[in-house]
Amino acid sequence: MTDNLKQALDLSLFWEYRAILLQGLVSNALVFLCAAVLALSMGVGAALMRVHRFFPFRLIGTLYVEAFRNAPDYIMLVWVHFVLPLLIGILIRRRVELHPFMSAVIALGLVYSGYFAETFRAGMQAIPRGNLDAAHAFGMSEGLILWRIILPQVVRRMLPEALNQFVSLFKATTIVSLIAVPDLMYAVSMVTQQEMRPLPLYTGAAITYFLLIFLLASGVRGFSERWRRKILA
Amino acid sequence: MGNWERLVWNQRDALIAGFAVTVEVCVIAFLVAIVGGITLCLLRLYVPPLRPIAIVLIEFFRDTPIFVQLMWVSYVWPELFGFPGSFFAAGWIALALQSSGYLAETFRTGIEGVPRGQHEAAFSAGMSPTQTFARIVMPQVLLASAPSIVNQFTVIVKSSTLVSVITVPDLMSESQRLVNIWYEPIEILTATAAIYILFVFLISAAGKRLADYLRRRYGLAASS
Repeated sequence: MTDNLKQALDLSLFWEYRAILLQGLVSNALVFLCAAVLALSMGVGAALMRVHRFFPFRLIGTLYVEAFRNAPDYIMLVWVHFVLPLLIGILIRRRVELHPFMSAVIALGLVYSGYFAETFRAGMQAIPRGNLDAAHAFGMSEGLILWRIILPQVVRRMLPEALNQFVSLFKATTIVSLIAVPDLMYAVSMVTQQEMRPLPLYTGAAITYFLLIFLLASGVRGFSERWRRKILA
Repeated sequence: MGNWERLVWNQRDALIAGFAVTVEVCVIAFLVAIVGGITLCLLRLYVPPLRPIAIVLIEFFRDTPIFVQLMWVSYVWPELFGFPGSFFAAGWIALALQSSGYLAETFRTGIEGVPRGQHEAAFSAGMSPTQTFARIVMPQVLLASAPSIVNQFTVIVKSSTLVSVITVPDLMSESQRLVNIWYEPIEILTATAAIYILFVFLISAAGKRLADYLRRRYGLAASS
């Protein structure tokens, strides 16, 4: 066992492949960025639908949020990659294929838009009704009210929570290797097949992700505390 | 609807068998995670020499993505520690590790939320520290964190889809097997997604009802 332990902690093999592994990590970051943009915009839209005064919109918003919030990331990833192109293909009567990167962004973006929508909704419901009445009385348009009255307050109140969700989203990007997006885990499994030494490689991957996410999460924690003290005092 | 009948309804035995494995993995992982979470939390709070180790473990379990942990447990642990002997065990161990990290923090917040005065009152009533913990602190902690604990179960169910990657025959893996037989993924994958969504939805709805009930019954500020 001590021999194995030495092998597990001997990360020189991991270091040897640093170029390809780093490239994988860049893929992770790209998926994360694109999915985050999608999740944020869809999340705001879904949250607005959920509080809309027109009932059918509210229903669609609620169904959307509940479906994506309760869906496991992995089944969504597989569904978007293998089923969505077929459905689109039937609609437009042409063969469609989604690039794995696109599938990953869409799937993770949709799932996390469900979480973000709930966060936004909680933030919007905390805004006193009087603010909206006052804005209406001033003759502000719906769009202007959203931009100047609602969003600033929601962001201020919900930023810490949203940052936590970004961290979760980054963690979730590790599964995109399963549909062959060449991320860090994908690179690790490729190198493992070549070298037949899973010990240092998977340990290296675990340590890399741990350090990265630990730093991110502690940054978020520290920031949130200061933010709460300063902004929400 | 012919396709749905042929591809989904007629395959219900396989899907049910897969769902049973999913439930099995999740329940084992959940129970182990509760025990592991309480243990880690107690080590962190009450056993000073082991405190740093507990903190490192909790942070490691919380901040490493579940997929990475799953691969690590299934491919590195057998060589390193000689177990787990099966992928099934690797699956629930990885799920339990992650959740025990989260639950340890949940329990810690709960324990730290019990007012100091109650410890003093228990002490003057002649209770030993162990008694105080078992009879005064823990019941309140479990009540207050019950909704978070239920919530953690939904996280386990969602993450459990990944055990199909290490060939555990859960619902996800059964449905992918069916897809690979006919190459007609639309119905099977949609049905599988619907089953998971419904299952997770029901658990979290039950969690919300539990939270409401506890709040009414015990007047706790239980947050979900």
